[in-house]
Amino acid sequence: MLGKGGKRKFDEHEDGLEGKVVSPTDGPSKVSYTLQRQTIFNISLMKLYNHRPLTEPSLQKTVLINNMLRRIQEELKQEGSLRPMFVAASQPADPLSDNFREAQPAFSHLASPPLLPADLVSTMPLESCLTPASLLEDDTFCTSPAVPHDGPTKPPPPALQPVKDSFSSALDEIEELCPAPTSAVAVAAEPAADDSKAQPSESNIHKPEGLLESRTAESKLMDPLPGNFEITASTGFLTDLTLDDILFADIDTSMYDFDPCTSATGAASKMAPVSADELLKTLAPYSSQPVTPNQPFKMDLTELDHIMEVLVGS
Amino acid sequence: NKTQSHSRGEYNVYSTFQSHEPEFDYLKSLEIEEKINKIRWLPQKNAAQFLLSTNDKTIKLWKISERDKRPEGYNLKEEDGRYRDPTTVTTLRVPVFRPMDLMVEASPRRIFANAHTYHINSISINSDYETYLSADDLRINLWHLEITDRSFNIVDIKPANMEELTEVITAAEFHPNSCSTFVYSSSKGTIRLCDMRASALCDRHSKLFEEPEDPSNRSFFSEIISSISDVKFSHSGRYMMTRDYLSVKIWDLNMENRPVETYQVHEYLRSKLCSLYENDCIFDKFECCWNGSDRQVEFLSLIVMTGSYNNFFRMFDRNTKRDITLEASRENNKPRTVLKPRKVCASGKRKKDEISVDSLDFNKKILHTAWHPKENIIAVATTNNLYIFQDKMN
Repeated sequence: MLGKGGKRKFDEHEDGLEGKVVSPTDGPSKVSYTLQRQTIFNISLMKLYNHRPLTEPSLQKTVLINNMLRRIQEELKQEGSLRPMFVAASQPADPLSDNFREAQPAFSHLASPPLLPADLVSTMPLESCLTPASLLEDDTFCTSPAVPHDGPTKPPPPALQPVKDSFSSALDEIEELCPAPTSAVAVAAEPAADDSKAQPSESNIHKPEGLLESRTAESKLMDPLPGNFEITASTGFLTDLTLDDILFADIDTSMYDFDPCTSATGAASKMAPVSADELLKTLAPYSSQPVTPNQPFKMDLTELDHIMEVLVGS
Repeated sequence: NKTQSHSRGEYNVYSTFQSHEPEFDYLKSLEIEEKINKIRWLPQKNAAQFLLSTNDKTIKLWKISERDKRPEGYNLKEEDGRYRDPTTVTTLRVPVFRPMDLMVEASPRRIFANAHTYHINSISINSDYETYLSADDLRINLWHLEITDRSFNIVDIKPANMEELTEVITAAEFHPNSCSTFVYSSSKGTIRLCDMRASALCDRHSKLFEEPEDPSNRSFFSEIISSISDVKFSHSGRYMMTRDYLSVKIWDLNMENRPVETYQVHEYLRSKLCSLYENDCIFDKFECCWNGSDRQVEFLSLIVMTGSYNNFFRMFDRNTKRDITLEASRENNKPRTVLKPRKVCASGKRKKDEISVDSLDFNKKILHTAWHPKENIIAVATTNNLYIFQDKMN
């Protein structure tokens, strides 16, 4: 089930986000897979939190979006619970297989190598500190074998709890994680490092700030979902712009030059390309406007840093 | 004269009436839209027509009757209704019916309210012509057409903890011949057939129809596009048809593990699912319908029709396996001309007259189509217009 290579080609001509399912086992495809997943996750959150209708939102739509978020969360949970070791995609006897939860998520057949959920696009060599901008450029040469490394602690995923204010619960988690990013990553049994064609490693190293951001991003991802379907109009207040800023703070817009959602022809497309800039723009609270694309966006990093500081309470 | 209007192909509005009004739910502080979700005709028993129409919360039974005559010549009353002075009445006169301009009256006969917590998505009249079902996201209720203050809950999939909700009911329909059998579809692409004789609450299905997922087509959106938007029994009741986002499937009621036929409506959208998710088009609920009975062939369900984007609609012939794409648009089709088949170019070089996927207008969607029960006449609804097409006349 793992690593079926048949359809997992990264088609250079096809937009990476659409098109065939990509596998996280190949270098560039892994990036696009995680990128795709992150984009879909963000879109889903946006749909749930920004909808402020006068009438009751469609229960069917809410359920489907929630299921999408849950699936992605599950997948990230699984990946996060694995040791950051290499597993060759073709390895039949996966030494880490016993770490997989029984309930395979919908996309588990794609998720053979462990991936850190945190900034989701990490394919850097382990020694380097990451900035998102470098990821895409560097993902071609990440073939160094696995080395156990200090990395952020993976908090045990909280069980889905009844909905409380997701902002305060995320804050709780930030506070929990803040003090010391101890590395609790134990060395696994000998990985399939015999396989010299080890897959690109996922980095476990982040700058401390990046660490915090990744934690919060992760904790945000681990948040209990807005599953309380009885709450209708009142779910709006859960939207927190700053939290979402944290979520996006790690992501440099150069990543989204990828332009995932337009086709190769791209002419007169009626469908909006999905990019982080648009997502961010539409996260303004109390906005019920649908996403309107086609606006160039320049992210002010100092502004984001400021927001980060405010949130962290430093 | 019906035959004449067929050959001319012109239709006029017969009647317009307001079925529902917007309401306000004070408890939830939300508006209940007056938007009609479904209309179902009752079988005709007398001169009047009856239909059920429903919005999110309330079902109404409407009687539509024609009046083209009126009594004139009352003995004791003037024409305007005032009573005549009795001293002026010197002869006996019996009123007679005189023709008048056709007047169509719609009057509400029953209002079935307060039985649905969630949004009603389906109504279906039973073959006993006495009862009908109404389905919302989590529950299905059984009504008697004469009784408005009571309904029976026959399906309830609401979990004890709403946090655990992962699946909703999307459509429901009674079997055309068996008055104790009905089906309901779900947002996970399953159809459940239930027999009301088994128990009062049909929580356990008699049959579960589900096609296993095709692993080569798996994506983030697999569940969403598998959600069934419409289910329709064939005339005989031996088959049923389901519509999901990209395809129409025909199921044999005797085979639960996969459909017997699958027709791709717009497979070229599969590579656009992310954008369609982002702009919400992926949640569009397309309906589907069977052909009516042709004069030669009585009640065989041979052709399937469903809508798509860009004001396109599609028909599939089950016998010949041929399909056609047509467009409902005033710019491109003059009245009484034969519709030109359309083709969408999925990728590669676009041929002349083909339309590329990227130039499709996703705001022009055809969600509702209907086939005349007896003739080869179809009604196709675009966003703002209703088109009526008929078979080529010789």
